[in-house]
Amino acid sequence: MIFSELYSAYYNTIAAVISRILEGEHSEKELQKIASERAFGESVLTILPSLKNEKWQLVHPDMTTDLEHKPTMPLTTLQKRWLKAISLDPRVKLFGVEFPELEDVEPLFTAEDYYVYDQYSDGDPFEDEEYIKKFRIILDAIRHNTQIKFEMVNRKGNTIFVRCRPLRLEYSEKDDKFRVVTTGWRTVSTVNLSKIRACAHYTGERPLDGEEAPIRYDTLTLKVTDERNALERVMLHFAHFEKQAERVDRQTYLVKIKYAHDDESELVIRVLSFGPMVEVLGSESFKKLFIEKLKKQLNCGLK
Amino acid sequence: MSSYSELIKNFEKIRAYMREFYVYGFKSRDDYQNKSARSYDDERRRLESWLGDHMSFVRTPEGKNVFISIDSRTIRHNPLYNAWKAKSFTDGDITLHFIIFDILYEPSVKKTISEILEQIDDKYLSGFEHPMMFDESTVRKKLKEYCEAGIIISEKEGRKMYYHRAETTDLSDLNDVLHYFSEVAPCGVVGSFILDKEKADTDAFTFKHHYITGAIDSGVLAALFTAMREKRAVTVCNLSRRRDLPQQNRIVPLRVLISVQGGRQHLIAYLPEYNHFQAYRVDYLSNVKLEEPTPRFDELRAQLDLMQSNMWGVSVKRNNRGEAPLEHVEFTVKIEENEEYIIRRLEREKRIGTVEKLDAHTYRFFADVYDSGEMIPWIRTFICRIVKMNFSNRSVENQFKKDLEEMYRLYGIEQEVSE
Repeated sequence: MIFSELYSAYYNTIAAVISRILEGEHSEKELQKIASERAFGESVLTILPSLKNEKWQLVHPDMTTDLEHKPTMPLTTLQKRWLKAISLDPRVKLFGVEFPELEDVEPLFTAEDYYVYDQYSDGDPFEDEEYIKKFRIILDAIRHNTQIKFEMVNRKGNTIFVRCRPLRLEYSEKDDKFRVVTTGWRTVSTVNLSKIRACAHYTGERPLDGEEAPIRYDTLTLKVTDERNALERVMLHFAHFEKQAERVDRQTYLVKIKYAHDDESELVIRVLSFGPMVEVLGSESFKKLFIEKLKKQLNCGLK
Repeated sequence: MSSYSELIKNFEKIRAYMREFYVYGFKSRDDYQNKSARSYDDERRRLESWLGDHMSFVRTPEGKNVFISIDSRTIRHNPLYNAWKAKSFTDGDITLHFIIFDILYEPSVKKTISEILEQIDDKYLSGFEHPMMFDESTVRKKLKEYCEAGIIISEKEGRKMYYHRAETTDLSDLNDVLHYFSEVAPCGVVGSFILDKEKADTDAFTFKHHYITGAIDSGVLAALFTAMREKRAVTVCNLSRRRDLPQQNRIVPLRVLISVQGGRQHLIAYLPEYNHFQAYRVDYLSNVKLEEPTPRFDELRAQLDLMQSNMWGVSVKRNNRGEAPLEHVEFTVKIEENEEYIIRRLEREKRIGTVEKLDAHTYRFFADVYDSGEMIPWIRTFICRIVKMNFSNRSVENQFKKDLEEMYRLYGIEQEVSE
């Protein structure tokens, strides 16, 4: 059962509080800090007071405890079953890690039990040895805040040599691809991992300056007519953006979506997919792109 | 009257609110008519406590609208998982939990229930002013619960039952694995539970096109997966948008179909009573109860495997008493110089369809599916290059063209061209 107090923020916080007490910390202020960092916004009103007033008889009012061992809990069967399922995923090879002994454990699910039906078919080759090698070099460089060097072919077809500092790996479930977000490299800051060649750690002394390029955001305003369940489809489809919706009348809604300007072309076709139930009100540049597509379609001679 | 707590006993109620606040977010307090005002205030307050800055509000003439707004590209971990970490418990539950694991502090320590009881009273509670009293049946019940969860093991030696904690699992290598899969794998919240135990954190991964909504359906999904692994039927409560009241169904769950472009998850199941297959929205399902194993599971799943070669999305062959007619879908696109990326798009997005080159600038896509209507949103993404269409379901093709006309009208495009 997933919804259990065994996984609760409170149990984890109490475990952390007791551990600190056993390490010799008895200051209420310090222990309260753990509660505010590890639990929810209002948990500070409950956790330490409940320990202090003996509601939960684990800690005495002077912040000492009769417990002798730092609290730990073995993995539950559910956690082991999920881990087993993960261990069967081909992408796990990217990480090159040994999984714990899970021989007697039934996976929570297998590849037979679910299917992602609209993922693009040209995803990254997660089981390719060269790809795995690049992935691990980059992940290691991110961990240790070090530089890498690699080659890639740019849009003009020329091979370029790059030295940069990778900041993070961005995975898209739709594209089934990893992108590397980098800094210290003036041309671009994000590159598809699969396009990188001859990737290696940079062991030279030359430092790299530069911060991650800030993302330029735009706002898209849509008028949604709630026919053919359009409202629900729009709201779910764009759920992963920062957005705000407002009801205009019984059937009409205004939806504002904040998006990265670099993703504008992709967003135009995503909005197109909703047909006439969604009208683009702004921005002007977005609307212009949208209208251009429709004008071109009108000239396609579709009868 | 019970006082407010940020913890909850039942997930279903908050699940509905989270969906409203996250997916829609335009409703004011008065719109939640079928719920009491106090209930609304409590649930809103809980979500504010769990989700912090991700909760926003806006004032409109209708009142204050509360919503959850998250750009999932900028976060490392799904904040909606927090709801699964807010289960309520009794004072006795939490006290017993930490004492039991302190007594059984490593797997080699084995105790009988009387030894555990004795230590609880003498060693752990006697120092309190008003010590709690735990009787044998309460402790036995808790140990049984923990044995079922797999964290305590019971072993009979002679006539006595001994309890010890389960072996610790070494997770030291799995930090990156957990961070990645807790976001991209089904029931990722379980990975998040494991991460909560580990101190190390990572900044290594972020996620694009990342639908986090499914998190609130993890309980239903885990139950459905368990049923599939054990080849069982289930009874399930389905609240479809077409009905006011939820409906109980006995079904055989066969596969979960996940959309990474629309944020929806569907269960494909077989309904023995009606002898047909059906797709259910996972977010409309609740109260999954496992029934007996079904001997037909493998055969039904094999049928689904076959069906999937004609499924664009989740629409299945409904009628199992004869051949359901397939619908033929065909459209042709024209590309210009340097637009090879359109061909790459067609190839990578074609799913069960086929792409055929007609000449240097013209390509034809065709597929035979159970429901051509499902393909319309995707075909619209090729607007600006569609030169020909041929659907066996004429009403779907006509609707597509009518919609296109409507779009021209919306933006005044016809007038501009005719002038």
